[in-house]
Amino acid sequence: MAKGRVWDLPTRLTHWGFAALVPFSWWSATTGRLPLHRLSGYGLLGLLVFRLAWGLVGARIARFATFIKGPAAVLAYVRGRSAPALGHNPLGGWSIAAMLAALALQLGLGLFSVDEDGLEPGPLSRFVSFDTGRAIAHLHHRTFWILVALIAVHLAAIAVYAVRGKDLVTPMVTGTADLPDGLVATRVAPFRTAAAVAALAAALVWFIAHGLRF
Amino acid sequence: MTLPRTLAPLAAGLLVLCGGVALAAGLTGADAAKDRAQHMKGLGAAAKALGEQFRSGTPDPAVVRLQAERIDTAAKTLPTWFPAGSGAQAWPKSAALPVVWTDAAGFAAAARNFQLAAARLDAAAATGDMTATGAAAKPALGACKACHDKFRRPEKS
Repeated sequence: MAKGRVWDLPTRLTHWGFAALVPFSWWSATTGRLPLHRLSGYGLLGLLVFRLAWGLVGARIARFATFIKGPAAVLAYVRGRSAPALGHNPLGGWSIAAMLAALALQLGLGLFSVDEDGLEPGPLSRFVSFDTGRAIAHLHHRTFWILVALIAVHLAAIAVYAVRGKDLVTPMVTGTADLPDGLVATRVAPFRTAAAVAALAAALVWFIAHGLRF
Repeated sequence: MTLPRTLAPLAAGLLVLCGGVALAAGLTGADAAKDRAQHMKGLGAAAKALGEQFRSGTPDPAVVRLQAERIDTAAKTLPTWFPAGSGAQAWPKSAALPVVWTDAAGFAAAARNFQLAAARLDAAAATGDMTATGAAAKPALGACKACHDKFRRPEKS
């Protein structure tokens, strides 16, 4: 088996960005550091927008069209009847989609949340009343556990594969893995595509952070 | 913690006395705590509305003045929102910590600090000078946080 490219750099960077900022967001919120919590949320929002766009125009392995499969493919994979392939397996693809959806919900609610004192409200809270913003903040606290549950499943799956002798973590760090016979390395997307998508994500976050004002 | 036998009646007497003070004002401890929560929500709403004006970059002096008045009016009566016996023992949802009453002098100083800052905010807003009002808003809103950090239970999720 030869070593070859699996995960492209932008996909790895967004992944580890999520892995760092989700716990940081939780920590900054539970210790009352709302200005930091807000910045962390903006970082996550930028990463999420980038990842969603990358799922449309990015590297082949990161595209939703590549890894979101129908029930037949998922069932075949669960029964061990899938051919080996690189990237997300048919079941794992849905895990990624679920985590991204839960993160989108979390960020969306956070944008409209208002803190107890009304001093550090989310950037879009000017569109809702104080009481509505408080209700959204309480919802934001609860829906966090959906994200935690999905991340727990993700980590448990990594542990299960590790026990069965398949290391998923190293390829997500280095981008490369031993390729099974018959599989060719994935193609990465051009740098200019990544730069354009990153610029778009940054602009969108800036616009939202300013309460949809220029 | 166990009280010495001789202190138990004393403690019970103290509790009755505290309840009496609250009742003298025509309120049970729980009523006072709920009223306080409503007052605090009003202050939170005013802080949010005020912050929005300054974050917009073009504060509306009329809106700013209205919110500054709300804050100043509330600040004037704030010390009366905390009758003895109106803590979490009277209403479990109350976030007021026992230190409000055990460090009454410290709490009074923190409340006074807020009152002074709120009065300055209101005075600045009355002049219509939004730069001065923005500068005066910082210590007033900062006083909310300073007091809450010490005298309020951290928010439960």
